[in-house]
Amino acid sequence: MSGPTGTNGRKLASLRELPQAIEPAHDLWPGIESRLAALPPEASAAQGAKPAYRRALRLRWLAAAAMVACVAVGVWIGRSLLPGGPVGGAPPIAASRPAAIGLGPTAFDAAYVSDPRYERQRRALVRALQERLAALPPPARAKVSASLAAVEKAKKDLEQALGQDPGNALLQELLINTYQDEMRVLTDVHEASDSGREI
Amino acid sequence: MAHAQAEETRVDWESALVQRARGGDQRAFERLYREHAGRVYGLCLRMTRDAQLAEDCTQDTFINAWRALGKFETRSSLSTWLHRIAVNVTLAKRRKSGPVEPLPEEEEGSAAEWALETPVEVQELESAIGALPEGARDALVLHALYGYSHGEAAEMLGIAEGTCKAQLHRARRLLRERLHIEVN
Repeated sequence: MSGPTGTNGRKLASLRELPQAIEPAHDLWPGIESRLAALPPEASAAQGAKPAYRRALRLRWLAAAAMVACVAVGVWIGRSLLPGGPVGGAPPIAASRPAAIGLGPTAFDAAYVSDPRYERQRRALVRALQERLAALPPPARAKVSASLAAVEKAKKDLEQALGQDPGNALLQELLINTYQDEMRVLTDVHEASDSGREI
Repeated sequence: MAHAQAEETRVDWESALVQRARGGDQRAFERLYREHAGRVYGLCLRMTRDAQLAEDCTQDTFINAWRALGKFETRSSLSTWLHRIAVNVTLAKRRKSGPVEPLPEEEEGSAAEWALETPVEVQELESAIGALPEGARDALVLHALYGYSHGEAAEMLGIAEGTCKAQLHRARRLLRERLHIEVN
């Protein structure tokens, strides 16, 4: 093993005195440079140049995934849990959303999630959901739980991101959408149980 | 005071280079390579005891660093970050080339200064370190030579802190036997 240059013959009183740097026998940069040139563009360091943009993109996908999961559960409740499908009082998914959900993502919308009435309604729905979940067959329980877990994760990530960038309109919009998605799942399950049919 | 200011300036300069490298500037990345290559190669060489393998590990370390620069937190030390990558690369290459030696039982380690009872020539000391078994040598190099704490060295090597201490205890005992002097 080649030692650090210019240190041969020198005596040391401690291991800590050994030089940390050892120069390679030849310049390694040309080899590194040619390998960097051969890397695909997506492996470039420049891909990490816009972390905020990438985070927003990831969160957008996360919110979209949560929404898809919610819609899937809604459709599944309509088609599978209710015998004969969404007949009579069972409204289509879009109609089951709370009135405020139909509005665009404005500052007024942002306020409704901190409204005590919203919080009361949410708590009641969550309580009812817990009761219904306990009675559901395992596959049904797993689907509803997975959907709500996806929504919960999206909410947490978005809230964390908003904590770092409170003025970001895109994040605000995504958060409102996610709250709406959660309410949609809760009301869908609630309405299905209120219809008096077995889930 | 002057040293602290110089260190601060170096870190500022380094984070500016990191920012430029993140933007795809290979010249900035080359400057970072020039600054850190010696310490990275020194670590790889001491862990592998093979100049060619150490060169490969050093190159892989900088390639991986280039790929992961976007994840590097500029508040932390670039040197430590590169060392972590270098340790991972070296361990992975070693795993490919042969079986991993069994870990010793955990035992109490002491806060050694790694002082030598009688001064020893650099080459002799490097040879004695190079002759240590892999696990003991890895722990010794990271802790005694590069100044990482027991916890940091253990984390980098993917072992328990107690195991790292035990490896250091073993390294000290073997060095004592090979150099015929006390290592405190």
